[in-house]
Amino acid sequence: MAESEVNLTKTYDAIVIGSGAAGGMAAHVLTSHGLQVLLLEAGKKLPVEKELRSMEWPYDNPYRGQLSPDQHSLTFNEYTIRNPPYGPGSEKAKHLKSYIGSSDYVKNIVVDERENPFTGTNYAWVRARCLGGKTNIWGRLALRLSDYDFKAKSRDGYGEDWPISYSDIAPYYDKVDLYLGITGVKENLPYLPDSIFQRPTKLNCAEVTLKDSLAKIGRVLTQYRAGVTSDGLKHNKYRSRCYGRGACERKGGCDIHAAFDSPTGLIYPAMDTGNLALRTNAVVREITVDPQTGKASGVHFIDSQTMKDYAVRAKVVVVAASTLESARLLLLSKSRLHPNGLANSSGHVGHNFCEHIMGPGVTGRARNLVGKPPTLDDGRPGGFYLTRFRNLAEKHPKFIRGYGFEGGSGSTMFPRGTDAHGFGAAFKEEVRKNQGAFISMGAFGEVLARYENYVDLDPVVKDKWGIPALRFHYKFGDNEHRMAEDMKETAQEMFEAAGFEITHVSSRVLTEGWSIHELGTSRMGNDPKTSVLNQFQQSHDVKNLFVVDGSAFVNASCQNPTWTIMSLCWRSCDYLADELSKGNL
Amino acid sequence: MSTKDPIDLRQDRREWLKTSAAALGASLLPLPAMPAETPQAETASAALQAKPAEPKSAARFFTPTQHALVDELSETIIPADSHSGGAKAAKVADYIEQVLRESFDDSRKALWHEGLRLIDVMSQHYHGKAFVNASPEDRIAVLTVLSDNDHMTDLPEVRFFIELKRLTVHGYYTSKIGIHDELNYKGNCILQEYLGCDDQGPVSS
Repeated sequence: MAESEVNLTKTYDAIVIGSGAAGGMAAHVLTSHGLQVLLLEAGKKLPVEKELRSMEWPYDNPYRGQLSPDQHSLTFNEYTIRNPPYGPGSEKAKHLKSYIGSSDYVKNIVVDERENPFTGTNYAWVRARCLGGKTNIWGRLALRLSDYDFKAKSRDGYGEDWPISYSDIAPYYDKVDLYLGITGVKENLPYLPDSIFQRPTKLNCAEVTLKDSLAKIGRVLTQYRAGVTSDGLKHNKYRSRCYGRGACERKGGCDIHAAFDSPTGLIYPAMDTGNLALRTNAVVREITVDPQTGKASGVHFIDSQTMKDYAVRAKVVVVAASTLESARLLLLSKSRLHPNGLANSSGHVGHNFCEHIMGPGVTGRARNLVGKPPTLDDGRPGGFYLTRFRNLAEKHPKFIRGYGFEGGSGSTMFPRGTDAHGFGAAFKEEVRKNQGAFISMGAFGEVLARYENYVDLDPVVKDKWGIPALRFHYKFGDNEHRMAEDMKETAQEMFEAAGFEITHVSSRVLTEGWSIHELGTSRMGNDPKTSVLNQFQQSHDVKNLFVVDGSAFVNASCQNPTWTIMSLCWRSCDYLADELSKGNL
Repeated sequence: MSTKDPIDLRQDRREWLKTSAAALGASLLPLPAMPAETPQAETASAALQAKPAEPKSAARFFTPTQHALVDELSETIIPADSHSGGAKAAKVADYIEQVLRESFDDSRKALWHEGLRLIDVMSQHYHGKAFVNASPEDRIAVLTVLSDNDHMTDLPEVRFFIELKRLTVHGYYTSKIGIHDELNYKGNCILQEYLGCDDQGPVSS
């Protein structure tokens, strides 16, 4: 469908704002119920296969796969030491990108930081404005949450329980598994429920060594649970099964779409129903409200290229712009009836902002693999996941909640171990002999949801389109720092116990935001005074307004959020369609 | 260098800088010290108003003499051996030339020009010859001084060495020679089945 053909004069059943994991899922579910849906994406539709070029050799790339010199991606030091972040030469760079935009393959997927400023405390805010958003480049670890997360307050007294239990969402996790495909191995863990897995990847030798060593102390290492279809999906003609190609660990995205992305997994099939209109380059600046009823009536958006302003109407507005952009949009949508911003009578919009802390980790060498002939290890969508072990049966004395490790081992296209000291023939031989022997892992831990961690609108700074920028008031707390200390210690202990020679221990906590798992700015709950949304991600204040992305999370868990975002969204959109058909919205 | 005491770089550089200044008539210390992480008091609006980059210049960054020096320096970092070609064969100097030619980081460019000059000053001091005319052993000796003192990052020659090694390593292991001949990389192909430890043959411990 050509974009000029999108009808902006009719009243849609639903407008969905954002086309990432949540927006794509909302478009899929609502169109499957026969609703007429308009999907608005702030960025463009990229020729994503041409961006990703997953099988391109570095020597065939003019910059060996790195960013061209006229672009600059921010480093850890720039996020934390300089304020705001600039490195030498960056002021001359045509485009300034977040840290994740440091390769030639993702440079057009992430936004230009200068066009999209933000203020306040340090935050490595990664934004992907293009069709599919961050699903084009996500890390693919697809995990379920459990009642250890949904009922965490009941277990340790902190925060709030979710208004749902695992049993409420489990059937929707199943639907997402079957519709999108996921690889993994069943482990029967109460705190990390299994999915309906397709053909699993395999662990390589160092990973098996670690798994066996951990099993002795009751800890579980399992194959990376990847949101990747390894067997193919008969119902989806846009995606291929995983070929197990190398260079997969580059994680710049997957140009055969074996790894889930929102366009091929959800949006194109939704367009095939005939019920979906897609308008890209549509920067929504406000959700409009009927002054009589106080209900949402549609949106105002600016065409990102022409700067022209448009208004479009719908019976229901579904916000899926990402946790932070959704909060920003609600706060921007002030009116006489909603003076604090839309859906914000509780004052909780933007608050209880949480995510995952990362940085601590370990790298080691399996001595028995040094000097062995190279093997093919990086054709997998991921290596391993070491599941949470803190605060399950026992209570840790220093912190609450938990963390898991993502890791991998073996040969990679660009060798590990080039940080070895020295140079010359000995250095070259060392890199060659060690190339398949390295194993490493890094932790992801739960950052507690706190009311005092929040975002609001900057009173002065505006983005390229004149829309007020987001201002951060967000810091890791003591619980996170004590947890990070434990991550480092346990990582080292576990590698030592497995017999690995430790080559590097990282204790550095990365900048807030680094995990790209921001969550919780419009949390769900049963009490409209302390929550923004009900259990169906429906605004307590505005019945025909839903916020279906990570905003709704009550806590961050330590498990990666994408699969839960999509499962919750599916459940909420089923409810939305039902309520709409009953005339309740 | 292993048979001798490690060289005290701070002590030695006073000597070789003196020689160099006398020979070249150049000004003596201090050399520009460019701490990599000085906090900058820039503002958001300054970056927002930054001008677009100038069109990239087609002019070479290295003179032919400098290019020849970078060729030998990179080969000293990653030499040819019985297993595979080295940095010269992999045309690492051409890669470095391109990176620097298109770079917008003037301090990085200045560091390379200064570093190349200091390498020859050091080579003259220790061996009485320009680096490209020195024997392979003498070249290794010069870089060993820098490698052994690579914690002294306030010194431009040390920062240069770190940059030289970093770009050489990146250029080499992203080249055909580096990926295929040297590492015999097996991936980036289509597989029928995922491979794991069981498929990789027995590994004795």
